[in-house]
Amino acid sequence: MTGAPDSEIQLLIERARSGDTRAFEDLARREERALYRHALRIVGTTSDAEDIVQDALFSAWRSIASFQGLSFRAWLFRIATNRALDHLRSRKRRPELPLDPPDDDDVTWAEPVAAGPDLTQLVGDREALAAVEAALGSLPTEQRTALLLRDVEGFAYEEIAVITSVEIGTVKSRIHRGRLAVRNVLITRGWRGSDG
Amino acid sequence: MQHPHAELSAYIDGALDPAARAAVDGHLVTCAVCRAHVAQLRATVALVQALPDPVPSRRLVPRLTTAPAWLAPLRTIMTLASGAAVFLFLASALATNITPLATSGAPGTTAREASGDTAVKGQAPAAQPAGAPTVTPAPAPTASPYGAFAVAPSSSPAADNVVRGPATAAPDKRGDTSTGASAAPGAALNPPDAARTTASAPQPSPLLSPWLWLALAIICGAAAIALSRRLRASV
Repeated sequence: MTGAPDSEIQLLIERARSGDTRAFEDLARREERALYRHALRIVGTTSDAEDIVQDALFSAWRSIASFQGLSFRAWLFRIATNRALDHLRSRKRRPELPLDPPDDDDVTWAEPVAAGPDLTQLVGDREALAAVEAALGSLPTEQRTALLLRDVEGFAYEEIAVITSVEIGTVKSRIHRGRLAVRNVLITRGWRGSDG
Repeated sequence: MQHPHAELSAYIDGALDPAARAAVDGHLVTCAVCRAHVAQLRATVALVQALPDPVPSRRLVPRLTTAPAWLAPLRTIMTLASGAAVFLFLASALATNITPLATSGAPGTTAREASGDTAVKGQAPAAQPAGAPTVTPAPAPTASPYGAFAVAPSSSPAADNVVRGPATAAPDKRGDTSTGASAAPGAALNPPDAARTTASAPQPSPLLSPWLWLALAIICGAAAIALSRRLRASV
């Protein structure tokens, strides 16, 4: 929840749990766009992402009495992520990718093929951002989900483990592999990495 | 220590325990390759974070208050009304295009038709046999916008400007005496007559205006879409 004190959020959660629809709508509205961008980058189509978020929020309202433990935001993301992954599984359009390749420390680090701009200078470069978006789309779903939860939504590894129902070591591996894949796409497109 | 490649993402996220973090820190002091990889991973994170934020096309927070019961029937009515208005738009558009053809030559002509008639008859002197008296049902007022079409006495300067030449022309090649001014003295030569003709023409019904139906179709269609969205967002 951005820009709202915890006490205000807690009060809204309590009111929502006691059946206050307006309090729940207030809470949901704060996360509406974040949930949408997350769902969109998982499923890839705007109409599906909108339906997923709407269903997830309605589901959250119906089960708000059972909410406990997680932060409310993480709880909403857990519901929406599960819906999005279920949607992908049911759609079966994508080929069945190995979601979690066996852990291997020797993940390939692509090397620059030619001199190019520094990666750190590419923020705001539309071509680079399009390449990043495409690279994200080519990741295995579980890696993409973990990467987005960490780098875009800012969740801690422990929260991501709960949201995606996996061990924290798996979260660590998925995030690293996802980042490395995106980095490799950029490197192979001619951009050199920063030399640190 | 081997390159701690698999730890580098957790390292930049601060997700390593203190011992592992210290080990990576120590390695980075001596390893330029791993320092470069850390910088590249940080840059990658920055790029992912810089992706543009998509905006949903509609409200995604469900309206948890139940929609009124009359909302669904109203949406149906609006949808049907929109369809009917589209049909009427097409029908009235066709009707307004056909009507002028059907009524041409009938007493009720439009002002445009009347003036067109006048224009034809303005050449009537050409149909007069030479030496025949020129019939002027009404003197053409020089200030009249119809003056150019009127057959005025030769003393009229305005008429002189307009009908010079044709008054001495050959007999009507078409043989159509009905186009002569004398054949229809009161038909359209006179501006007041033309005005009367126009005034007596039946005004088209506003219901025949295609734009009315088009506007209605758009309004009803927009209302139907809005109601659908409202119902969709409801529990």
